[in-house]
Amino acid sequence: MNNTVVQILLIVLAPVLGGLIYGLERKVKARMQRRIGPPLLQPFYDFLKFADKRKMIVHSTHAFLGIVHFISLWFAVAVLIMGGDFILIIFLHLLSTAVIILAGFSTRSIFSHLGANRSAISILAYEPVLVLIAISAYMLTGSFDVSALYASEMPVLFKMPLAFIALLLILPVKLKKSPFDVGDAHQEVVGGVELEYSGIFYEAVYTAKWLDYIFCYLLVFLFGGANIWLGLLLVALTFIYINALDNSTARVNYKQMLRFCLWVALPIAFVNLILTMFNVL
Amino acid sequence: MKLNQYRKKSPWILHYNAGGCNGCDIEILACLGPKYDIERFGMINSGNPKQADVMLITGPVTKRSRERLVDVYSQMPEPKVVVACGSCTCTGGVFRGMYNCEGGVDQYIPVDVYVPGCGCRPEQIIAGVVEALKKLEEKTKEMEKSVRLDVAPVESDEQTNRRDIAAPINNGGKPTLFG
Repeated sequence: MNNTVVQILLIVLAPVLGGLIYGLERKVKARMQRRIGPPLLQPFYDFLKFADKRKMIVHSTHAFLGIVHFISLWFAVAVLIMGGDFILIIFLHLLSTAVIILAGFSTRSIFSHLGANRSAISILAYEPVLVLIAISAYMLTGSFDVSALYASEMPVLFKMPLAFIALLLILPVKLKKSPFDVGDAHQEVVGGVELEYSGIFYEAVYTAKWLDYIFCYLLVFLFGGANIWLGLLLVALTFIYINALDNSTARVNYKQMLRFCLWVALPIAFVNLILTMFNVL
Repeated sequence: MKLNQYRKKSPWILHYNAGGCNGCDIEILACLGPKYDIERFGMINSGNPKQADVMLITGPVTKRSRERLVDVYSQMPEPKVVVACGSCTCTGGVFRGMYNCEGGVDQYIPVDVYVPGCGCRPEQIIAGVVEALKKLEEKTKEMEKSVRLDVAPVESDEQTNRRDIAAPINNGGKPTLFG
């Protein structure tokens, strides 16, 4: 009962938590560059400002797809928090990304098309690894339900450490962080798919970015198993890792990104699958 | 709690170079760097006109760039402010009267704040942007004001209307129009 209340609270507050993570990240990023940085609540100030701006939409389907992107991502996060089917979670997330790619292709802006292309290539890079991790989790617990991972007494990290490494390698692609931020590349394609959004419709895409943080850090949290403190420690370490990587590397092009993910991260996940299958660890 | 007070806390900047020599552009980028760090006021250099509030323009507007300038300006949603950075942008500077440009950016789009200097110092740019934020606040309030017409309603304008046509019925069968 208590657990259900916590879950519902977490689902409702997921965008707020994601906004706080994003604010903290901007702060940490500024401190790493020896700047003072914006206040912690800066993402929420941006949110309130965008509510005030006049709306300019390209066409109604484009604006609608942005909102569908946000809602389907929230559904994915909700299923992940409730401990639903891992494959369902991955495909809900895929659906939300597919919707925003569709929105990117629905305008006539060339930058939007480039961003949508690159987002599609990013899916090709991280999706196989995620599916392999899900299958490994199935081999470990005998069910695709994430709740089995939450309940696992032995932390999942010690059962499948290689899966954690593979997840760390693809997280920059999912979060659109350097060196794999080809989809979002601010200096090249000016934000990619989110380029044509403005006003309150940009807010949906902007808030979906916060939800993406929650989604990715929850995937990391899974590896703690039933031990909440280990999960939180892993999340904190991953946060530092992502930001250090983001600030210290330059962007690679999409071919290098794809080659890295499919030749390094995917084999690691595959070896992990085989090790879990034969119960080596 | 008034939510309106937060709207000036996140001005996103659009930087447009209208044919300048890059001197002022470097100073704008210095504002974003560690020494001046205008991100602590919530400003981001977003290269996207559809999400920007403040437009920083550098350079005298050359004939090649003025169409794009007006295009980019018109893509920014209201409320928006324009800051002209540098002498060339304010008046034309040393390029005034040359064959390829005319004097200043305010001949093409409305400018709210002029920042002089060749090139303008980062401190001046920050002061100019802070001034621009006050203008932004005024413009937002102007946008939110409800419009009421002061003109008195028209009593009769000597036009045929439906009430006159229906008069035979209303007036007890006495025709006024169309016999």
